[in-house]
Amino acid sequence: MSPIESLLLTCGAVGILVILGVIASVISVSARHFFASSWSIAVYTWREGMRKKTLIGFLILSILVIFGSSFMTAFLAQTTIGDLESDVDLKLIKDICVTAISIFGVLITIFISASVVPNEIENKVIYTVLSKPVRRFGYLLGKFIGVQLIVIVNLALMGGLFFIALYFKQRMWPTLLLWSILLTYFQFLIVSAFTFAISCAASSAVLPTIAGLFIFITGNLTEYLKEVYNRGGQSGAWFDEAIRKLAYGLYQILPNLQNFSLKDEILYLQVNDPPRDVMIPNLIAYGLLFALAGYIVAYVVFWRREL
Amino acid sequence: MAAVIETKKLCKVYESALKGQDVRALNNVDLSIESGEIFAYLGPNGSGKTTTIKLLLGLIFPTSGEMRIMGSTKIGRPAIRKKIGYLPEGAYYPDFLRGEEVLEFYGELYGLGGKDLRKRLGAVLDTVGMTHARKRLIRGYSKGMRQRIGLAQALLSNPEILILDEPTTGLDPIARKEIRDILVRLRDEGKTLLISSHELLEVEMISNRIGILYGGVLQTCGTISELLTNRDVTVEIERVSPEALAAFRAAGVEPEDTYEQKSLLRLPEFVSLYAAMDICRSHNVTVIAVKPRRETLEELFVRVVGKAQDEERKGALR
Repeated sequence: MSPIESLLLTCGAVGILVILGVIASVISVSARHFFASSWSIAVYTWREGMRKKTLIGFLILSILVIFGSSFMTAFLAQTTIGDLESDVDLKLIKDICVTAISIFGVLITIFISASVVPNEIENKVIYTVLSKPVRRFGYLLGKFIGVQLIVIVNLALMGGLFFIALYFKQRMWPTLLLWSILLTYFQFLIVSAFTFAISCAASSAVLPTIAGLFIFITGNLTEYLKEVYNRGGQSGAWFDEAIRKLAYGLYQILPNLQNFSLKDEILYLQVNDPPRDVMIPNLIAYGLLFALAGYIVAYVVFWRREL
Repeated sequence: MAAVIETKKLCKVYESALKGQDVRALNNVDLSIESGEIFAYLGPNGSGKTTTIKLLLGLIFPTSGEMRIMGSTKIGRPAIRKKIGYLPEGAYYPDFLRGEEVLEFYGELYGLGGKDLRKRLGAVLDTVGMTHARKRLIRGYSKGMRQRIGLAQALLSNPEILILDEPTTGLDPIARKEIRDILVRLRDEGKTLLISSHELLEVEMISNRIGILYGGVLQTCGTISELLTNRDVTVEIERVSPEALAAFRAAGVEPEDTYEQKSLLRLPEFVSLYAAMDICRSHNVTVIAVKPRRETLEELFVRVVGKAQDEERKGALR
């Protein structure tokens, strides 16, 4: 399946879901109220989140890094020669920008996912919201959607800047970057969902932030678990076998965030090449499944939580 | 009159992971709040007032006991919540929003929209006297204005029940009076108000019934006139000679606030007004005023809580 077909398939699936949602809301007044109140909470979360100083700080830093990388390569260009010059320049820009988007993007994602619910408990806004005819499920849904809006807007800003930088450097549309940004979002979605779930049990944002970083790091090391599984069990000792099985079990359960990385393709392929060896619809489904699991955990934690 | 809010043997225990560290926040609380009254829920910090309110709103869950709101036990269901307006103590409203935007957000949570929302918004802003400041950012609001916006968000669905946690704390005297007037007006419109407060003077002015909570136990509950039963008489006198003072002391009356030959006598139950007047006459003391005095709510509160504390201490010693 080509990337365009994948995109169409995804758009089609999202379209069907939206149509179903619209039909349900027309049929049922309570469903309409549910969607409307969740959306209000989402917009409120987005508006409030976008004003957080820490988030703005991360965003400014990322923009500085993306801009800075262009200046730096302009300086390096004077010391290099021939075809090598533009190649080194380009790789450097790509490397710095992809890394900056990944690091600052995940910091923004973790920071915002970890703080929205604990902050509302701290400043008592949650009491005024949950004393209204709003179900906890709807409240959490609104908060989660709000977090995703913040992540998407920030990712779009950082990615957009990188897109422009690449376009001006190469004078061709860097479509590969768009696929990379899309997959990066689904990577962030998984991290966000589980950080959010932990934050629903926490009274401050500190623990969920640490947990979010742990999830991101562990998720990027999942591939090593496969290595452990492949290499383990050779000595025949029981603990060797146990570690092998544990590694296999964890490999099966934990999300593999490396799957979402197109960094190598971006670095070594032409910017307008289609992504290779990547099943984008499968990865999107994979991301959505883990995000759904994270959201369900969040709801299970929150629905009987004493506020 | 029908009970709008009712609790029977309501208990709440906050469990702790450590053995023996559980906290019994409410212990067999029986409350009955009737339609169209202002019920003041009083108690020192940590007595269980906010716990009761959170239970009634479905924010926390009872350990045992029963709760009914307008006859329904389905606390926390959207249909019940629509009938309740809640103002928490010291709630935050985002600085970057305008007053009316905050209310729009809360209105949408009630399922209001379009014309209905605009109409309701106008009505509540008018009720709390904030129409002039609706377009201003919250960051420019005074504490009193924020509290009024809080009250407005509680009134958005035109609820039959209002639960207000410390509605006047931290406000200046003028803002307090304005909020108090609004609460009385709402009561007169037929709404039922449950107010948790430490401002005893205000509570005494506006509430129909009070309940005093201590240690999770409802120590006393009733109308103001039922509870404030202790009465005495004060006599304001002047040109008080040392001999007259000695005579009053001999009769068992200790003069209070003696200043520039003026003094205030609070007559204990065993000293009749006639006996005090006789002493005044015989010592040429001028009587300025004789006032019957009812126990204040503050005195009742101190008496009830003090008694409960004494019993608690005795219990601990046993």
